[in-house]
Amino acid sequence: MNALCTLTGRLLPTRPKSLVLLGLFALVFSVAGTQAHAEGSELAKEELACLSCHDKVGPGKTLESGEILSLAISTKAYVESMHKETSCEDCHSDIDAKTHGKKITPIKSKRDFTLSMRESCRACHKKNFTQYEDSVHAALIKDGSKEAPLCSDCHNPHTVRSTKTVEPITATPCANCHENIFKAYAKDVHGLARIANGKTAPLCADCHKAHNVQAASLGSGIKDACLSCHENAVGQHKDWLPNASRHFEAISCPVCHAPTAQRRVNLRLYDNVAMKQISEKAGVPQFEKRTQAADTKDLGLNERALWSLLKEFNQDGGEGKTVLRGRLEVLSGVDAHQLSEKSKAVRDCKTCHQKGAEPFQSVTLTIAGPDGRPIRHGVQQEVLTSLLATESVRGFYAIGSTRIKLLDTLLIMVMLGAVSVPIGHMTIKRLFKSVREKLAAERIAARSGTDDQDSADHRRTDDDASK
Amino acid sequence: MQKLYINPLPVRIWHWTNAFGFVLLIATGLQIRYLDLIQLVSFRTAVVAHNWIGFVLIANFFVWLSFYLFTDKIKVYHPELSPMKYFRASFRQMQFYGYGIFKGDPNPHHPSAYRKFNALQSMMYQIIMMLLVPLQFFTGVLLWDVSRFSAMVEMFGGVRVVDTVHVLLFILFSGFIIVHVYLASLGHTPSAHFKAMITGYEEIEDEPKHGTSS
Repeated sequence: MNALCTLTGRLLPTRPKSLVLLGLFALVFSVAGTQAHAEGSELAKEELACLSCHDKVGPGKTLESGEILSLAISTKAYVESMHKETSCEDCHSDIDAKTHGKKITPIKSKRDFTLSMRESCRACHKKNFTQYEDSVHAALIKDGSKEAPLCSDCHNPHTVRSTKTVEPITATPCANCHENIFKAYAKDVHGLARIANGKTAPLCADCHKAHNVQAASLGSGIKDACLSCHENAVGQHKDWLPNASRHFEAISCPVCHAPTAQRRVNLRLYDNVAMKQISEKAGVPQFEKRTQAADTKDLGLNERALWSLLKEFNQDGGEGKTVLRGRLEVLSGVDAHQLSEKSKAVRDCKTCHQKGAEPFQSVTLTIAGPDGRPIRHGVQQEVLTSLLATESVRGFYAIGSTRIKLLDTLLIMVMLGAVSVPIGHMTIKRLFKSVREKLAAERIAARSGTDDQDSADHRRTDDDASK
Repeated sequence: MQKLYINPLPVRIWHWTNAFGFVLLIATGLQIRYLDLIQLVSFRTAVVAHNWIGFVLIANFFVWLSFYLFTDKIKVYHPELSPMKYFRASFRQMQFYGYGIFKGDPNPHHPSAYRKFNALQSMMYQIIMMLLVPLQFFTGVLLWDVSRFSAMVEMFGGVRVVDTVHVLLFILFSGFIIVHVYLASLGHTPSAHFKAMITGYEEIEDEPKHGTSS
């Protein structure tokens, strides 16, 4: 099969089953295949034979689930597709020419049929398939998802076009599942540029990758995607933004570049030894169990609960292994796809660096789930300004907005002390003025008395001397 | 009235640069931390100014350090090695500020070119100049570029810990400056010590036989 694909299916006559098919379809083709033949002049006879029946809009096949599986294949679309040089049998090798169309082959559901066809894709598209197997989509399927996409959900095998072909963005398969996000994208700076200029602007897969698609909130994959096109972004930010590198580490791009987006603080559980985000092990749901135990009233974790939780995670791997890495991000995928023109991006530091700033009103604790998607638990916003959480959220700090409240109180007390001590001292000094003057007068008197006595003594000594 | 040269030019330059610098650092620091309350300049301007002034003061610190390291004036910072002597002198000084000064008692400390600090000043300035000021500069530099010094920031417990130390010292220095100015006004005239830090010459009252009034 694999070899056949490699050789684009032109060596089919070497196989006996193909010879039978050839004979059967030659007969059918000679009678009913005139239209298919006209459109599919580039196709081999075998394919034309198949298309002579399938290039018709029929009632389709009723599946066990009750769904109708369309059997129609447009010859025109097939000829224009990337698979035009792949023979039908390369993928549908299970079809027996003798019984095809005569005997009903039971199929449970469309999903089952699509699942069963996956191996055909793998045979030729090994690299992409391997990447796909590492994706969040494949992980969801392993987890039993009935919605996560399989190959043909995104790539219709009979119409699939070259990625070099610029298709209208409405043909993007991602929109089938991520409709709201796609609608937001279509109106944002990238979507509008894609519509206007075609491939110069990114489409979904340019940032999220087509096959190895990962949960967007995992790691720094999306930021890397931004920087792969906006190569000078770091340098340009350094020109005006103090601590630019730190901003790049702790803030996702849409936080500033989607000015209408809602934002929040994401405290990620992070392995400080392996230097990566901590993932929940499949089948061992510790995160939910521990967070629920620490937050029985579901009010969000407070500083003590957060500290205990970290301690529990550290028991698994050693003190200081598990830490929290704070990050400012937008609330949802829709928010992340409301990117505006550069001139409208947030540049006002006040947006984040003052007490009560909107991005810090919502805090969440995150672990990466077994499929890579984040599992979250709410955290009380006060954690960010609590002295007790200094150790827990030690890696996240935004000047002004997450300042520790107790230090504000200390500043006021020290200032009051620093002002009142001199005022008090001056007041006492003023009150003691009369005492001081009296004592000074006594000292002067005592001194002059001593001086008089000294003078008398001197005089006496002089008199004695003169005698 | 005698005149004693106790503040050499490099010390005076360092002192006033440091004084004005610290006031500006406190002002910009307040603006950075309390943007919701103070908005004299933009946040960014305050941050940039704070960074620059910080670096000027770090350079200025080395002016001070070099002067004392390479001249015999370092003796003014030599600690009193006898604890009994030191505590007795400290107690006398505290007694003067807390009681004797109200009665017009003379200051128990008699400055000289190599002993210009009283026992309390001597201890306080050693702690401030050799520990607290360098620590403030150090944490400031870490916060200036957190990413560049991320390993060190992490070693000290993370950016929140480093910032907390920086703010604690800021609070301490803010209080210190107010008290320092007041104490400087307690010379034989309110402006005597200020003049001394401008001209270099401290006016020393003639020693009376049985004390003086103030």
